[in-house]
Amino acid sequence: MSLFLRLMLAGLLIAPAAPPAPARAAQACSSPYLIDKTLPNGARWRLCWEMRTIEGLTVTKVVYTPKGNRPISVLRSAALAQIHVPYDSGEPRYHDIGSLGSAVVALTEADCPGGERAKGKVCLTTRPRGHAYLKDGWGDPDARESAQGQELVVLAAYQVGWYTYISEWVFGDDGSITPRVGATGSLAGTTTAPKHGWPIGVGRKHFEESHSHNVFWRMDFDIQGKTHDVVEQYDFSGSGTKKRSMTKRTLKRETKAVNGRMRWWRVVDPRVRNGDRHPVSWEINNSDSAEYRGPSDEAFTHADVYVTQYRACERLASENVSPRCRRSVDRYANGERVTDPVLWVNVGFHHVARDEDADPMPIHWQGFRITPRDVTATNPH
Amino acid sequence: MRRRLVIAAAGLGAVLVCGTLLLVTSGEAPQAAQGVRETPSQGDPLTPEEIARAGEIATAKNHLKSGQTELLYVERDDDKDAEQARRAEAYIYDYSTDTLIVRTVDLGSSKVIEETKGRGVQPPPSKREELRAAELLLADPKLGAGVRQSFRKAAGRELASPSDLALRGLIFSPERGRCAQHRCLRLFVRLPDGTFLDTSRIVIDLSAKRVHTLEW
Ligand SMILES: [Cu+2]
Repeated sequence: MSLFLRLMLAGLLIAPAAPPAPARAAQACSSPYLIDKTLPNGARWRLCWEMRTIEGLTVTKVVYTPKGNRPISVLRSAALAQIHVPYDSGEPRYHDIGSLGSAVVALTEADCPGGERAKGKVCLTTRPRGHAYLKDGWGDPDARESAQGQELVVLAAYQVGWYTYISEWVFGDDGSITPRVGATGSLAGTTTAPKHGWPIGVGRKHFEESHSHNVFWRMDFDIQGKTHDVVEQYDFSGSGTKKRSMTKRTLKRETKAVNGRMRWWRVVDPRVRNGDRHPVSWEINNSDSAEYRGPSDEAFTHADVYVTQYRACERLASENVSPRCRRSVDRYANGERVTDPVLWVNVGFHHVARDEDADPMPIHWQGFRITPRDVTATNPH
Repeated sequence: MRRRLVIAAAGLGAVLVCGTLLLVTSGEAPQAAQGVRETPSQGDPLTPEEIARAGEIATAKNHLKSGQTELLYVERDDDKDAEQARRAEAYIYDYSTDTLIVRTVDLGSSKVIEETKGRGVQPPPSKREELRAAELLLADPKLGAGVRQSFRKAAGRELASPSDLALRGLIFSPERGRCAQHRCLRLFVRLPDGTFLDTSRIVIDLSAKRVHTLEW
């Protein structure tokens, strides 16, 4: 409506000059910030990227188009929200964000195989992801169905002290999104008592201090616009018996949720339906976390998934940068009614160094999965 | 309803400013043409020109004691409820009162449209702050001598200036103590031979212009 008004006004004022405005207005971003990739199986991803001063690589306006279907917008914006690194002896405790935008590492061709290095800092490439599916034909080769999957990767690397962090946003040709961070570079080299570390030098002299990397992501889901999105939490009771029964909890208010082995969440828009009249949703799994829990003054580490009402100034999970908002995600989640959910996922990795870590340190990854649930009525690929 | 009217008015403002700019630059044909071609889309990052302009606008209105306030950096305002406008947020720190000032600049109207202030809010250090922290570290009688000595050993030459060191700063903002209010940071210092100084206990207080060592 307002855009239409603006265009009308623009037309009135700039008179009948050549009209490049509508085309530009329709586009969220332009080259080289626009990524529009159709993968070999016909799945299409369209998004914008930005290297922000504080959060570093940020993806915005992520739209997924399954083959033969209409485009569905998924994320309005998504970025790293903190990398919290507490050492096992209690100190030091780092918050590695960090002006990530200025810590960005220039990428070489070898860092981005077969891809394109946008502004020399962001790699856009595709790579195989193994089997998409395999179904035997029971002796009939024509009935056999097998396909190899591909994924679109958007990545950037940052040098933070000794560590190099590689941040990836992976968009699968099955509609999945995998945010993950890899830690590489070098170990800190801090020595500690044997109970807080692992001997990586000759003999038992140098005990490298163990530590955690607690990575937080912030994701503003807007399924076909920001209205009507709801977050649900699913649990399955009956452990120790033969039966499993599903329970659904709708998170109508801001929530600090903890992981369960079978627990998952989804962001669903009940007004957006697939061909089966099922509401379109994206599922969030967070099952690979070490679930680090810090002291009371690090309450942001006390939950694994936070659901908060959208607020532009709530950007980081800890050490937030805006005077208008509170300082950490545990304080954002204070029971407000949620009409436009933002999800914060906390994935911890406890790093106990080993001899192989020196040097350069082999990359270790941490992340989670976002998968489409009922975006299409059947497998579109 | 009211909201819609406001947005329409804002749109009109932007269009008018756009017209003015075209008139102003029309005398310089090549630049004007370039300006038109480089008009960013709504979701594009800020251009270098926009960053410079936002910084100027945000600090022009700054009547605080100069030398005590500093522009840290400019970030695009990505508030989805203000998508029609192209906005920048300028992060300014006032060391005399330990206050963070965030000024939102509307790049269409070239005006500061919002200002928020807060104490104890510490966005990441800027490049200039990292360098200043290194200067303070080098000025410390004991620690500074240690840094120079390590540099000499690693590089085989004397440290000429703090910019010889590869620096990365992180905010140190504990719940209690002086650094709960002051702007304090930790530095990672890489030497030319690829090693890092052990700086994990060193905190540089930019507000007090002091260096102290943590104990644990
Ligand atoms: Cu580690």
